[in-house]
Amino acid sequence: MPEVGSCDVARRRRWRRAWRAVKGSEEVQAYIETSLQSEVIISTNRLTKAYGKLVAVNDLHIQVMRGDVFGFLGPNGAGKSTTIRMLLGLVRPTAGSAIIFGMDIAYQMPTILRHVGALIEMPVFHPFLSARDNLHVVAAASGMVSGRANRRRIEEVLELVELKDQEKMVYRKFSLGMKQRLGIAAALLTDPELLLLDEPTNGLDPAGMYEIRQLIQRLAALGKTIFLSSHLLNEVQQVCNRVAILQKGNLIKQGNVRELLRNKEQILVHLRTSDEFERAQAVLAEARVNGVDWLGSVHLEKDRQGQETLHIDAPRTHSAEVNRLLSEHEIFAAELHPYEGSLEEVYLQLTTPATATGEHLGMAALAGNSELLDPQEFHSGTNGTGKSEQDKGASV
Amino acid sequence: MSAASEMGAENQETQPALENATPLTTRVGTVILGRMDFTSELLRLIGMELFKIRRRLMSRVLGTIAVCLALLVPLAVGIEVAVNMQTPASSFAPACPSSAAASGECTPLSHAYLEGIKTSIITSLSEPLRLPSSLELAATQGEFNPALLLIIILVGTIAGGELSSGTIRLMFARGPWRGQFLLAKYGAALICTVVGVLGMAIVGVIAGQLFNLFSGVPQNWTFLNAAWIGHALLYLLATMLNWFMYAVVAIFFAFLGRSTVAGIVGAVTWFFAEPIISNILTFAGNFSVGFAGTFLRALPSYLMGNNARALQLDQAHYLFGGTGPSQSDLQAFITLAIYLAIFIGLTWWLNESRDVTN
Repeated sequence: MPEVGSCDVARRRRWRRAWRAVKGSEEVQAYIETSLQSEVIISTNRLTKAYGKLVAVNDLHIQVMRGDVFGFLGPNGAGKSTTIRMLLGLVRPTAGSAIIFGMDIAYQMPTILRHVGALIEMPVFHPFLSARDNLHVVAAASGMVSGRANRRRIEEVLELVELKDQEKMVYRKFSLGMKQRLGIAAALLTDPELLLLDEPTNGLDPAGMYEIRQLIQRLAALGKTIFLSSHLLNEVQQVCNRVAILQKGNLIKQGNVRELLRNKEQILVHLRTSDEFERAQAVLAEARVNGVDWLGSVHLEKDRQGQETLHIDAPRTHSAEVNRLLSEHEIFAAELHPYEGSLEEVYLQLTTPATATGEHLGMAALAGNSELLDPQEFHSGTNGTGKSEQDKGASV
Repeated sequence: MSAASEMGAENQETQPALENATPLTTRVGTVILGRMDFTSELLRLIGMELFKIRRRLMSRVLGTIAVCLALLVPLAVGIEVAVNMQTPASSFAPACPSSAAASGECTPLSHAYLEGIKTSIITSLSEPLRLPSSLELAATQGEFNPALLLIIILVGTIAGGELSSGTIRLMFARGPWRGQFLLAKYGAALICTVVGVLGMAIVGVIAGQLFNLFSGVPQNWTFLNAAWIGHALLYLLATMLNWFMYAVVAIFFAFLGRSTVAGIVGAVTWFFAEPIISNILTFAGNFSVGFAGTFLRALPSYLMGNNARALQLDQAHYLFGGTGPSQSDLQAFITLAIYLAIFIGLTWWLNESRDVTN
């Protein structure tokens, strides 16, 4: 693991001093404007954080593009929050770097933070202040002018998170869900370009979760870039277009959600008799032998009611062709469901080796997914990819 | 397919649109950002700190205690004066020595003489109610200076509370750099100190003047001249510096221990330990000979509290009489500047280098 030496620290300090000295100049302002228009919003390069011997985040390479709703997944202790804290300048990286809006977090953090809204784990506010007063404090810290304009924006965000009725209630009396809502309101206060949300639906009831999902989708539609860390895979699957999966500080997968799920797609077929099942399996096996390349493995599964279902590993778009193939052999499906697969399956397969041995997860399909991590996209091929390949090798 | 899956599928349809490059979003019209230069940001942050102090119940309680302290001494003196005013003049007669009483040499004193004694005693008793003495009592409440403990509690809370409750991470993730947040704390502490000293001095002096009305002793303004006013201002500034030094210590301990308790306990311990250490060093110095003795005796004059008090004593010497300090103003200034540099420097380093992990 690369170390940051004292020379490096001194160099950074000198750089920071120099930066502060010149940041008011027109050239620098123009540079900042150009940086803000960069299409790569977040880019980390070998980002590492170690606490003594414990490596919380190891050689992390991620790229978040403008407009992405980027899901950041991983089990507890995987390093998600540490990464977010590093991106916000709360925790100093031990090694590596991160670029946000084209600016290095080591030198231009204050400029970066003006365009970032963040919700870090359980939000904490001043317990003796009301929701409104807490947002006043956040507004002042964010550089917003005080006065009527400021109050209007505060009202807007309070309405957005449905805390308008409780705006005068002191924070210590808030429920978990209300605290979370206030955290989201604070993150949205300056209408930032980039939102870093760490478990935004923690403590919310199902309706609240749904509203937050809707809000994230609305913000994404407005062109905001959202970096979302969550345990709730269903939530991530619904709102994110790209994900990165972290385990024990290492990146084990990064890619487009649709690409990840493509290999999990199945077509489920209900038939009436066991004879039909046997014939269907034979027909599909024969079709595969005859060169129907989109057909994967076929297996039979029983549900809790004892009803048998034929699981065909094939893209959902081929449902009609499966139906045609079967009907040509006078096998008529009682029901036919295209199944898109779930991020949960992908996640569990990647993070828990024991689960990965389950046949129903379609290992073979996922094993071919390594192209999702484009090695050329990153500076080093020894990042999480290497580890994930090993893991996959073991599980497959 | 479930409703959730349907929504997911619908979302998948919109994904290509999200992946396309989108123009830089602009902020909504209601977000109006202020000037972002260093001073403007710092002033905004100081305003934010003062807003938090104003909204805190604890600061109101501490403010009330400070006003009560400022009123307490004039009130106590006023009550004593009032009691003496009600006492008959005969009670002020000096006691006759027992030997003189036995030989019958004690003659009754005239009423006018006794009234004179009474007036003299009341004038002397009510002296702290009138300027210039009332200024000293109002600003320091005597040797113990309890108001200084209030500023330690207040500053320890505004600095440590942020770290112990975890709101520091909310603040650090908003834009201004860490140093500005620390400077804002010092700024707020300085404003609280200035307001505290001036407030207590004004309340104490006015209360003294009001209670003095009952004594019937007129305020003598002969002391008042430009030099006195100058020294009075310097005396108040020295008192503010004394308070601010302990506020800086409280902030340092709060950052070191990342809690309110650490800030308050650290500064209060410092406040009480210094005189004890000072006495021990002097005592040990008196029992030592040669260089060691000189060294030990000299050490107390380099302690923070002694130097802060030296500046006050120097002005008090001009304003209220009495003996001046044992060390020069220059030495006191240099020593305090070194203490300030050490405490602020260490706090700065802690603030800049530490990870915010809570």
